[in-house]
Amino acid sequence: MLTDERRPPPAPSRPPVEAAPRRRRPWPTVVAFLSPAVVLFALLVLTPIVVAAYGSFFNWNGFGAPTNFVGLENFRRLLADDIFAGDLSRALLLVVLSLGIQLPVSLALAMLLNQPLRGRRVYRMLFFAPYVLSEVVTAVLFTMIFSPNQGLANHLTRLIGLGDLGATWLADPDTVMYSLFLVISWKYFGFHTILYLAGRQSIPPELHDAAAIDGAGSWQAFRHITLPLLGPTIRISVFLSILGTIQLFDMVWVLTAGGPIRSSETLAVTMFQEGFKRFHVGYASAISMAIFLISLTFGLLYQRFVLRRDLEGAITTIGDRR
Amino acid sequence: MSHATGARRTRHGVLHLASIAIAATVVVPIVFGVLGGFKDNGQLFSNPFGLPDPWLPGNYLDTLGSAAFWQQAGNSLTIAVASTALMVVVGAMAAYIFARFAFPGREALFMLFAIGLMFPFAVAILPLFVLLREMNLLNNPLGVVLPQAAFGLPITIVILRSFFRGIPGEVEESAVLDGCGPFRFFWRILLPMSRPALGTVSVLAVVGSWNNYLLPLIVFNDSRWWTLPLGVQQFQSQYSADTARILAYVTLAMLPSLVCYAFAERQLIGGLTSGIGKG
Amino acid sequence: MPSIRLSRRSLLALAGAGAAGAVLGGCSDDGESGSSRKIRWWHIANTDPMLSQWAAMARQFEAAHPGVKFEITPLENESFKTKLTTNIQAGDPPDIFHTWGGGVLFQQAEAGLVKDLTADVGGWRDTLIPTALDAYTTDGKIYASAVDTGMVGFWYNKELFDRAGVGEPPATWAEFLEAVRKLKAAKVTPIALAGKEKWPGHYYWAYLAMRAGGLDALRQAATDKNFEQPGFVAASARLAELVALQPFQTGFLAAGYSTADGQAATMGNGKAAIELMGQWAPVVQRDNSAGKKGLGDKLGFFPFPAVDGGSGKITDVFGGGGGFAVGKDAPPEAVEFLKFIAQPDNARIEAKTAGVLPVVAAAQDAVTDPGLKLVAGALSQSTGFQLYLDQAYAPAVGQQVNDSVAELLAGKASPEQVAKAITTAAKQG
Repeated sequence: MLTDERRPPPAPSRPPVEAAPRRRRPWPTVVAFLSPAVVLFALLVLTPIVVAAYGSFFNWNGFGAPTNFVGLENFRRLLADDIFAGDLSRALLLVVLSLGIQLPVSLALAMLLNQPLRGRRVYRMLFFAPYVLSEVVTAVLFTMIFSPNQGLANHLTRLIGLGDLGATWLADPDTVMYSLFLVISWKYFGFHTILYLAGRQSIPPELHDAAAIDGAGSWQAFRHITLPLLGPTIRISVFLSILGTIQLFDMVWVLTAGGPIRSSETLAVTMFQEGFKRFHVGYASAISMAIFLISLTFGLLYQRFVLRRDLEGAITTIGDRR
Repeated sequence: MSHATGARRTRHGVLHLASIAIAATVVVPIVFGVLGGFKDNGQLFSNPFGLPDPWLPGNYLDTLGSAAFWQQAGNSLTIAVASTALMVVVGAMAAYIFARFAFPGREALFMLFAIGLMFPFAVAILPLFVLLREMNLLNNPLGVVLPQAAFGLPITIVILRSFFRGIPGEVEESAVLDGCGPFRFFWRILLPMSRPALGTVSVLAVVGSWNNYLLPLIVFNDSRWWTLPLGVQQFQSQYSADTARILAYVTLAMLPSLVCYAFAERQLIGGLTSGIGKG
Repeated sequence: MPSIRLSRRSLLALAGAGAAGAVLGGCSDDGESGSSRKIRWWHIANTDPMLSQWAAMARQFEAAHPGVKFEITPLENESFKTKLTTNIQAGDPPDIFHTWGGGVLFQQAEAGLVKDLTADVGGWRDTLIPTALDAYTTDGKIYASAVDTGMVGFWYNKELFDRAGVGEPPATWAEFLEAVRKLKAAKVTPIALAGKEKWPGHYYWAYLAMRAGGLDALRQAATDKNFEQPGFVAASARLAELVALQPFQTGFLAAGYSTADGQAATMGNGKAAIELMGQWAPVVQRDNSAGKKGLGDKLGFFPFPAVDGGSGKITDVFGGGGGFAVGKDAPPEAVEFLKFIAQPDNARIEAKTAGVLPVVAAAQDAVTDPGLKLVAGALSQSTGFQLYLDQAYAPAVGQQVNDSVAELLAGKASPEQVAKAITTAAKQG
């Protein structure tokens, strides 16, 4: 989790946080400043979590109060559910693709943007543009692009000499996940690129200068200076990417609704199908809880074994750079 | 020397080419939308890549002339600004406490907020709806603004706390010596100093709000309050046969977020890259 | 409804982080609908001309009933379902909302969320055609007012049939498969299908089950929670025969119904020869075709063919119409309004502008569309009626039918697997 229990000892240049001025009476200030956030958060975020947790123990169609208590039955059923297993394996596939392709490409682009190129501000803006588009707009565009009969994508394959692959992109259970990955990458790579770029720019130029003087090539400099120093940024980018994949909903829902034949369903889409189409609200609540618990477990393990000390500094280097 | 310059020039040329190629790939879908809006459906099919011939501005003009579009854009803007302002102010206040006050239970409370990251909004939609209804917030912009702010709090607090911690304690000490209370310090000194970080979380919040689909859908019954994503969805089914018209609408719907981003871009990157030294 | 209030309270109680609960409790009184005379009306006619016609009727009604104020929410089909589900499950149905009847409506009724309209609608049921209210009636209680009716059947492009040398529309499943083969041989895409939306696919299976096993088998299966009877397995097997011919348009699994390049557009632009669709098909084809022309005279209609050795009659029809249900807290004027739109004059407007088959007997003369007349003709000779399965059955079962048939259509499930999956869903409830 994102606590700072394992924060590195503060750098000497910065006064230790705990040494912030001793307040005579901190409580009034603490209460005054914290209460709006606590109220808002408890009311609108924690309450739904509690309600979902409660609902997950009932066989409940969502009408009226849940009365049919079934204990852990929903969770038992979930573990035996092929679709749930499929969701997990699809999430795994997306994670592998993201870590193997999307993030390295983002990193390469960040390095590119770090070069003193004319117009790089324009490039930077273009690369980030898809991130600000809404999922609905993205879905409309890509539905048309991937249309098997008159879509741009098939025109494109013809144009670049691949001929008409007859590819059906989103319409084929075997290819839909890859098409989906294309869309997701297109939409979100800019975010990671910006993160990396920020991380790269916070590396003191002296380090690379020194390396150049020592005769290091640019690949060596990248391998031995940039990459290690980008470690914290990369780890946080991986964290956000995996968390986003576990929780993926909007893009899939508007683009494929989990189809064809549930072959692009994610955990959250399954939850939505069960809760909104089949009125298995108790079961859907159990899936919500599963998503929550998987995210939580992942977050804790990741913090324990990967982020360890650098989380604070990494979440963008915002405050803690240098 | 001249050899080195030549090599650098080649290198630059290659980098330029690479950038252009990638940028082109990235913008294809967007340009497809923009140009498509200037075509008619026949052109879209026979000539999906090329420039429109002739250029037909009709679809854009129709959309720009429709009251519904402007109303939706206005709603999206109002809701985005309100959610962001609320989220940033409330989040910054909490982050300030988490960053600079020591009190028992602080880490547990912070942990609780961070847990919010693990519970995405779509997963909470049903219980959330019940709550909003109980609070009489349906069909009310607050019904979208408050939850958006609440769900944005975790990431805001995490980011801002880390930023606030980087601000040297001396700044606060000297402010206190000058007779500054925590309130004044927060408003007058901390927030202005944190502009880059505030810019970052604000852009993320505006984008999130602008694009939100599910929450406005379930909260607003009255189409007077509809936001652009709802409008796009509705428009798409209304004119399903008229692809070019949909593309024009979609293009105009994405334009404000692109423009807003173009202005905020420096701020965003600034927030991510700069430390307080520059802030 | 006491049970609902209880639910809110219990949700809050468990949510009840002390203060938060108290705050909520303080404002949880039914401030909005209850006594007010605002009528929240959700319908799915989100395109003109019907969009404006409904609005005009609402304004007329407002003028005649001072104090009544409509809040109309026209929604696209899928958005409507999502939004309605959220509201219904939160115990807050709109005052008037579109319904297809069947198990979905009855589940809402069972939870006390919609008004029992037996006494009200009963008052004007004599003005309707005989079976109009069947889909909305359970245990002798009426839970919605019918607006239009219809049936599903094969719509076909006569020109493409001629080109492929298919003479008469097929009357048996074997002939149908033969026609598909001929169409394929003539390089015509035989069938347009919206695979993404699943409900159009389930029409095939439902009709085949009706033809193979008979109407009673469909009803019995829901009661017995057993879909592994021979009729259903036969239906899946027949459908698998069709799928094996690869009759659908390229990329049908991701195609929508009324979206760009979807099922209706494919038909309306003459790119496929057949679709299995309800009475609205000609209108939607027209709206989705290039230049909004549609097929015009080239469009024909034939009933779903008989299955050899099946016990169902070819005159049994499958389909449904639309109606309006009234939410539990709706003001009395909401029911009045339903009566208002069931007036023959208004029903005629619906029939003319929306291209639907009105359920109001006196408005039958307003049906002028040749396609609709064919449907009306087939309906008038029907010997039995089955509502869409995804509405007739409980939601979980209906969805499973849609999902399993989609798998069958994609060639990813065997007939036995389909039967088993639906049975399992029925048993789980």
